[in-house]
Amino acid sequence: MSDDHHKPSFARRWFMSTNHKDIGTLYLILAIIAAVIGGGMSWYIRLELMEPGIQYIDDFQFYNVLVTAHGFLMVFFVVMPAMIGGFGNWFVPLMVGAPDMAFPRLNNISFWLLAAGLILLVIAGLTGGGPGTGWTVYPPLSAKDYHPGMAVDLGILSLHLAGASSILGAANFITTIFNMRAPGMTIHRMPLFVWAILVTAFLLLLALPVLAGALTMLLTDRNFGTSFFIVEGGGDPLLWQHLFWFFGHPEVYIIIIPAFGIISEIVSTFSKKPIFGYLGMAYAMSAIGVVGFVVWAHHMFMTGLDVDTRAYFVAATMVIAVPTGVKIFSWLATMWGGSIEFKTPMLYAFGFIFLFVVGGVTGITLANAGMDVAFHDTYFVVAHFHYVMAIAAIFAMFAGFFYWIGKMCGRQYNEGLAKLQFWIFFIGVNILFFPQHFSGMAGMPRRIPDYPDPYAGWNYVSSIGALITAIGTFLFLYIAWTTIRSGEKAEANPWGEGATTLEWSVDSPAPFHTHEILPDMTGKAPAE
Amino acid sequence: MTAKNRRVGFALALGVAGMVGLSYASVPLYQLFCQVTGYGGTPKIGEPVAEATGDAIGHIITVTLDANVNPDLDWDFKPGVHNIDVALGEETLAIYSARNMGDTAVTGTAVFNVAPYKAAQYVSKIDCFCFSEQRLNPGEEVPMPVSFYIDPEILDDPDTAYLENIILSYTFYPSRTAAETDEDLDETNG
Repeated sequence: MSDDHHKPSFARRWFMSTNHKDIGTLYLILAIIAAVIGGGMSWYIRLELMEPGIQYIDDFQFYNVLVTAHGFLMVFFVVMPAMIGGFGNWFVPLMVGAPDMAFPRLNNISFWLLAAGLILLVIAGLTGGGPGTGWTVYPPLSAKDYHPGMAVDLGILSLHLAGASSILGAANFITTIFNMRAPGMTIHRMPLFVWAILVTAFLLLLALPVLAGALTMLLTDRNFGTSFFIVEGGGDPLLWQHLFWFFGHPEVYIIIIPAFGIISEIVSTFSKKPIFGYLGMAYAMSAIGVVGFVVWAHHMFMTGLDVDTRAYFVAATMVIAVPTGVKIFSWLATMWGGSIEFKTPMLYAFGFIFLFVVGGVTGITLANAGMDVAFHDTYFVVAHFHYVMAIAAIFAMFAGFFYWIGKMCGRQYNEGLAKLQFWIFFIGVNILFFPQHFSGMAGMPRRIPDYPDPYAGWNYVSSIGALITAIGTFLFLYIAWTTIRSGEKAEANPWGEGATTLEWSVDSPAPFHTHEILPDMTGKAPAE
Repeated sequence: MTAKNRRVGFALALGVAGMVGLSYASVPLYQLFCQVTGYGGTPKIGEPVAEATGDAIGHIITVTLDANVNPDLDWDFKPGVHNIDVALGEETLAIYSARNMGDTAVTGTAVFNVAPYKAAQYVSKIDCFCFSEQRLNPGEEVPMPVSFYIDPEILDDPDTAYLENIILSYTFYPSRTAAETDEDLDETNG
């Protein structure tokens, strides 16, 4: 590769970048910064909840702001940037054999819109009491009557920017994947991670404009006298819930489908086998994406839907378990008879599958309208969605980090320390979230800073889990830092024969420009 | 930027614009959907009275009249009686009364709802004080009539056939559109 003499200045390289790898790195850095802020908020929340009574947070609006900001940060500024912006930018062009993204300058705009969105969100948190609406921003709580300051407006603008960033990014990914595949890299030979990003990009493209529309209605309701959601003006607050969840449910698949892609790559690599049922895996993701758009009202079982509507949403929701089951069993079948190597990425992949199954099972529980009436807005729901999309997503991100860090920075992590970090984190998150099923079934409501004494025991255990998770998080930051500073030199392919995708065919670290001569995939097996 | 990329990018931009359009189109569509289906407790308006036939003749449902006032509106708003017995398919008149307790003239607007929601599609309003804004001078008390009937088809629906009680609910809010005029009037009066 003859391109390493190409060295733009620091400011040019990092602030005006059009290089998919540098932009991917920027996304990952932003995600780590946001994760530390969002994680810090959750630890503060758990500190307050460790014992009944009010210990640290006597301003309840501030507690609501913490809960809200934690949700926004983790969804829009940690998981999405890391998986789609970070790993997606880094590895989609590498894996399909393209020299860069289709619209490199648009890629730069996407990143900096997101950075501006993060800054706006922080400003919102510091303005006039902050937005204490929950990440769902339901009116009338989010209307002018209950949030008179500018905080909610700033929060809305922050989400607008994050949404615009994701829409532009999604259009970029779709164009890249459709138009810039190497010769012979047919749609049915693309690595599953590329498939995952493709499906995710379509979900983003269809779901985020609806959020943008709803947020604009809320903004004009608050400031310009419209009445989309204001009852006395002829509006309907329930309309917000429909629009929000029409975006919000696909959003959870936007978060988890890239994770499916990462896990598929890793399971195949470390089992030294091609993935079992490649086409089934690809179309299972597509099916999840399609069905994900017609199940939104299962978030609204408590809003007085009539019994037939509820029956439909229960059934449609449960149907999603079928393609999801296809994925789980295909991963297991890939491992079956494989020569499995328990490197850290594989441990994290195992961890992901375990956590995702636990969260999936409670998801089937909650899909029943009858049971949801009892569990609605309790810690059971909190435990469910943290298992299925929060910690499962984080596990996939850690898996991807350890899998690809050698390719990204040219240095390999310390295997012993990383395994220790996995076990601390795995034990920590389970102690943190498993007991919340129990408090939830006992009726503990979510989004409250104080609770009756009978809930004290499991809340204490849960907070201990948060402490262990925090130790695991800081150990991860230490590992990441020492790897980048002084890790061992990584080979082009540190994983051996199982790693067959195209990113392992270039040097580590991946040179500034790759695939200048397009690789020819004609006649080869699916990349996975 | 190749022509091929531009074409795909343009198609995707159209898709995004379409979804934004759809989110706004959902506002009137949702309203229409609620009015047609009675979804979320939206009663029917202005339909001709359907006479009761067969078993429905003489079937009585108790309608509970509920009245609420938004705290921003200094009105006393209450129903004349709390419960009225209504025969299916028979036009019935219920009378609320509202009194302005404040010392300025205020315009209010009432929003309405029927509970349980599933009964709403069988409650039909012929005329109602809630169809228009109501302006009350300081201390003025005004009767607020509503005439409605319950569609005998309520007995044909297995989800609603067993109902013996329906709640008709109103909440008065200060009018958003008239609020500014009120202030202007106050200034000229003062």
